[in-house]
Amino acid sequence: MFLSLITLVFSAPDLIISTMISESKNVVSLCINLIAIYAVWMGILEIVERTGLSEKLAKLLHKPIKKLFKIEDKEQIKYVALNLSANFLGLGNAATPSGIKAIKSMQANLKQTKFAMLMLLVINSTSIQLLPTTAIGLLASAGSTNSSSIILPTLIATTLSTICGVFLLLIYNKFKKSKYE
Amino acid sequence: MSNYIIPILLIILIVYGSIKKVNVYQSFCYGAKNSISLVYNIFPYICAIMVCVALFRISGLSSLLVNILSPLFNFLGIPTQVCELVLLRPFTGSGSVSMLENIISTYGADSYISRCAACILSSSETVFYVSAVYFADTKVKNIAPAIIIALIGNIVGAVASCLLCKIM
Repeated sequence: MFLSLITLVFSAPDLIISTMISESKNVVSLCINLIAIYAVWMGILEIVERTGLSEKLAKLLHKPIKKLFKIEDKEQIKYVALNLSANFLGLGNAATPSGIKAIKSMQANLKQTKFAMLMLLVINSTSIQLLPTTAIGLLASAGSTNSSSIILPTLIATTLSTICGVFLLLIYNKFKKSKYE
Repeated sequence: MSNYIIPILLIILIVYGSIKKVNVYQSFCYGAKNSISLVYNIFPYICAIMVCVALFRISGLSSLLVNILSPLFNFLGIPTQVCELVLLRPFTGSGSVSMLENIISTYGADSYISRCAACILSSSETVFYVSAVYFADTKVKNIAPAIIIALIGNIVGAVASCLLCKIM
């Protein structure tokens, strides 16, 4: 931010404020879209929670989450389970509200859950979706003869990136622990 | 296929809710109501991040970074034409989608470059945006290691995409 500002003062000082404002405008319209999208998904998620389906989902994913995230709290596991399943289905926008709820519920006991928070961030930001719908749509509309040929490479690449992220985080965590002990 | 999965899941959910005697309508409204306060809380953080990114782009520093990093990316097997996409991807989702559109219209939908770019777009994620949103409104500090790890993961994904698109 600071570096960009300095460069701009020399190259195009008149662009600074106008860019900041126009980008902020974009963010406002993005947020209005997000309100709409989250309203639908959070409404659906609320039904999922009140029917007790999320507890069932949490029970199903209980063991791997406990191992990977090192958390015990039932509520935290529930939100993480919801977040991961939405991610798998390629519903990034449905994953976000439950991800935020998971992080918020972990905040209470920060010391034990720091690792789980970082793990959630790494998994969410290395992408684990099963079907690359946007990219396929774009390729197909541009007249690609075989747009679904990218499904398999994408699936392998995205799995690799997530595994790599999880692995690096585990190494980092070990390294950090050994430094303090 | 994928067009049917979500609607079917929804129907099952509503039927299941009615069997369990949950007030589906009220639950939906309650959840929907919370979306406004959620977005209200994350707005300042998204705004700050996106303004920084916009400044970074118009200052020309981002293209400088592309020039510096493209030899390294070439070495890893990522073609120069998609380098900018790889670098832009962590910052903006919509920006990288429009860049993919550009690449497809320039190189053709069936070219290696386009397929490679499509693969990269879908195997990576907007790291900075996700971290800004998830950690907005929390007191957690020092998430930098996780961001760096996620970025490395995304680059691994990009390298794998380029390789796999060549052989598949």
